[in-house]
Parts: sequence; C-alpha cells; structure tokens
Amino acid sequence: MAFGKRKDDREVATYMKLSPKTVLLYVVIIIFCVIVISPLVIVFSSSLRTPGNQTSPLNLFIEFSAQSYIQAFTSMNYPMQLLNSVMTTGGSVIMIIIFATMAAYPIGRIKTKTAKFLYYFFISGLIIPSQMVIVPIAQTLSRLGIPNTRFTPMIMFITCSLPFSVFLFSGFMKGVPIEIEESAYIDGASLLKRFTTVVFPLLQPAIVSCVITQGLWIWNDYFYPMVFISRKVQYSLPVGMLQFLGDKENPAQWNVLFAACVLCALPLIVLFLALQKQFVNGIAAGAVKG
Amino acid sequence: MQQVKKKRKGANTSLVFNNKMYFFLIPALAMFLIFWIYPVLQLFYYSVTDFNGVNYNFNFVGMKNYIKVLGNGTLTNSMKNTLIYAVVTVVLSNVIGLAVAMILNTKIHFKGLFRTCAYFPALFSAIVVGFIWSYVYMPSSGMIASLITAFGGDGSLFNPLGNHHAALYAIALVEVWKAFGTTMIIYLAGLQTVDESLLEAGRIDGCTEWDLISKIKIPLISSTITINVILAVISGLKAFDYSFIMTNGGPGKATKTLMFQVYQTAFNDMKMGRASAFSVLAFTFIIVITVLMLLFMNKREVEL
Repeated sequence: MAFGKRKDDREVATYMKLSPKTVLLYVVIIIFCVIVISPLVIVFSSSLRTPGNQTSPLNLFIEFSAQSYIQAFTSMNYPMQLLNSVMTTGGSVIMIIIFATMAAYPIGRIKTKTAKFLYYFFISGLIIPSQMVIVPIAQTLSRLGIPNTRFTPMIMFITCSLPFSVFLFSGFMKGVPIEIEESAYIDGASLLKRFTTVVFPLLQPAIVSCVITQGLWIWNDYFYPMVFISRKVQYSLPVGMLQFLGDKENPAQWNVLFAACVLCALPLIVLFLALQKQFVNGIAAGAVKG
Repeated sequence: MQQVKKKRKGANTSLVFNNKMYFFLIPALAMFLIFWIYPVLQLFYYSVTDFNGVNYNFNFVGMKNYIKVLGNGTLTNSMKNTLIYAVVTVVLSNVIGLAVAMILNTKIHFKGLFRTCAYFPALFSAIVVGFIWSYVYMPSSGMIASLITAFGGDGSLFNPLGNHHAALYAIALVEVWKAFGTTMIIYLAGLQTVDESLLEAGRIDGCTEWDLISKIKIPLISSTITINVILAVISGLKAFDYSFIMTNGGPGKATKTLMFQVYQTAFNDMKMGRASAFSVLAFTFIIVITVLMLLFMNKREVEL
C-alpha cells in the first residue's frame, strides 16, 4: 500500500513539475510536430485561395474561398470517383476477410509440415513487388476473359493482401482456445458451423486490424487502377489525381491542385479523426500479434 | 479414455482438426496461385524471349536479354539506388519512430495530439504525398526555397530533385515522412508492454535515463524492432512511387529504382522480354537481401 502511494506521488510530481528535462522534451516534440505538419498546413491554406491567387503559399490563410475546391471538384468528377473508391475498397476488404480467415483456419489449427509450408508459402508473397509481375498478370486476366472494369483492380487487391492477412489471422488463430471448438465438436457442430459461429466471431480484433491496414492501403493505391482502368468514369480517387501530374511544377495551378489533394485525402481524414482509437489499436495489433 | 486423448494430442492432426479443414484454403490458394505465383513463373519464360507485351508472335532469344541487362549497367545502377533508398528509409523511419514513441510514452500532456500529428502523413495516398513534396522541394517558389529566401539566403539555388547526388535522398526522406508514423504507433504498442516495475528497479539501482533505454527498454522490445525493420526493408526494396511521381527516374538515372526500371522497360520501352530478365535478376537480389536480413535479425534477437 505504502509503495503504491509513493508511486502515485511521484506520478503527480512528474506531471506537475516542469524540470528542464521536461521542458526540453516538450520543445523537441513540438518543433518536430510543426516540421512534420507544416507542408500539410500550407497545402490546406493554399487550397482555400482563389485559383488565380499566386502570392507565396507561405502567407498562411490570407484568403478564404471555395473556388479552388469547386474547380477541383468538377474536374475530378468527385462524387463518381468517391463512389468508385468506396466500392472497390469496401468490396476488396470484405472478400479479403472471408478468404483470409478461411485460409488461416487450417493453417493456424493443423500442426503438420504441410500446414507450415502453406504458411510460409503465403508469407513469401509479401516480397513480390506489383510492378514486377504486372504484365504477366494483365495477360492472365485477358486470357481468362476478365475485362478491364472498375472491379478488375479488386482481384489484385485481394490477391496482394492475402500474404499479410493470412499471416495476421493465423497468428491470431493461435490465441483462440481450441477447447471451445472441441466442445462445439462434441455438441455435434459441423466444420463449417464451427468456423462461422465459434472461430470467426473470436477473430474480431484481427478483423478490425485487417480492415484498417488493408483498407488504408487499398484506398490509397493508384497502381492497379492506373494499369487496369482506362475509362475516366471508372477511376478511383488516387488514380484520378494522376490528371494533375503536369500541374505539380506549375505554381499557377497549385491552389486547385492542393484543393484536389485535400479532397482526395478528406474521406480518410474524417474516418481517422472519428475512429482514432480503432486506427491506432488496429495498426499496432496487426504488427505486434502477427 | 485418458490415454486415447493423450495420443490424439500428440498426433499431427486430431479428430477435431482433421484434413477436411484444408477445403477452407481453396479460394485463397486458387487466387494466390493464379494471380501471384503463376505470373512470377511466367517472368522466367518471357525473360528468354523478345516479347513486347502486345504481340504474341515472339521469338526465343536465349540469354540475350540477360546479357543486355547485365551489360548496360542499368541493373547495378538501380540496385545501388534501391539499396540506398531502403537503408535511408529503414534507418530513419525506425530511429525517428522509436524516438517519438519514447517521448510519447513518458508522462507528457497532449499525447494524443502529438501522436495524431506524427501519424497524419500516413493517411495520404503516395500520389498526394508526391504532389505535396514536389511543392516543398521546388526551387525558388517551393516551401523550403521560400523559407531560405525569407531568411536571407538564395532560394533559387535550392533544388534537391534536380541534383544528381541529392535527389535519391530527397525522395527517401519523403518516404520517411510518410512511414515513420506507422512505425511509431507499433513501437508505442511495444513500449507499453514494458513492465513498469523493471524500470522502477533500474531507477533504484541508479540507472541513468539512457541506461534505462538501452539496457531495459530496447532489449525488451526487440521483437517489435524486428517486425518494424522487416516491414520497412520489404517496402523499401519495392521503392517505386516517388521515382514515378516526383522525379520520373531523373535527373539522369539518379532515382531509377529496380521497380521503376522494370516499369519503364515494360511500359515505356515496350520491351517485356528485357523487363522480365531484369525482374528475374531484381527478384533474386530482393530474396538474397531479405534472407540475409532475416538471418541477421534472428541472430540479433537471440543475442538480446
């Protein structure tokens, strides 16, 4: 008891007292955060100017206008691209969870050399870069008669995500006690029933982690949509940004470009600010448990 | 009964967990084989042809592609660039990520705000990040250049992306900016598992703050360090985004990474055969580096 009390006192003391060391810590972290965030602040402040305002972006928040946003919004066809992004990300993540939890079930449960081999086989896929295999993949798709639509990149998102997701879920599977399943077996539950009603619900923390890490990556990826989609109406948000590629070195276009950047990132920013706790836990759980 | 159960536990598969479970693997394994493994194997086949990516009437050319790739220096150049890029991003994103995590793990106010600031860049798509940093690095009117001018320097001389020696480091720093937040969050979770009583014991024994970090905290989070380094190396070796968005491989070939070179050979030069030969060699390189790193990390973790 006495020990606990002393510890509390110490905690209060370190919180309250501004020793030179604490001050230094604050100064370091504040300067660091300002450096990290400053490009984003400048981008945001410029995006609020009228497209024609060409004074230095360093003069922060000198004008407030929605015109750059309106211009970016229409030239991107924002609602369409947003819808495409939501559909591809949502669809891919749902399929990844179904396929990866299913695959992780035998890999995490059966203790044979075959299961171990399959585990490493899936993980080895992590080191293959997409750029390397993109042409053979395109040919495989066309040979299978799969046309280039807004849904084609989903096939690749699901496939590319399998190594990490299988790794994540089979790691979590070890934490799901086998006794629960054994009793379900004695109660006469079939294999499929055991998976859907016993194992799958217990994987929930891993599922959150998978949704966040993989969803973040898929939402932001531009490479597969760039290669597989040729019609502008089917573009997702990041690949739609490619139309501004020529503007990045033209200061006259910056305000609209930056408005487009903000619009592109906005859905994730809102989601992150609303679900900060889940994001942080999900990212950490993905790496620590897996 | 007792004996039967014991036997079952010892066996590789059990009554409950039998081979029927492998049916669950089918969808994932099918996708993985068709869209990931089979294309990799096809690379070996294309690498000995003069396939251009479109016309299927291609010829076998033997080892010509390999000789060409090895002979013209593109491979060694992009290997070197990729290695530098990977080392810079791995070291900096881990050192900065760990340092920030350590600061945020102490009892300071506004922890959540600082964490949000540090993690924020990770939310942006590489393409948006590329645009933002193109502005930051631009000579004369860019962010850093204007700051230099504002403080009395000559901002027009500042042009990292146009400099042969600086460009690669400049784009690696962009990757660090985007990646260190994720690394930090993983370190923060690792540091929270460190038992406070161990640190208390260390303090009583008269450890300095640096002793606590180097002799207690870091050894205890060695598995977190391993996972962060492995993830960073894997993504560093895949370097492509900022060469593609910001520099287009330039100036000259200063920022051509392995994957940028593959992409350019296949899509701009329409030489799929040569790109495949290049990919096979690049892939071998990636495997060698990854295996060496895994061996090193395993050994290190045992030592710690």
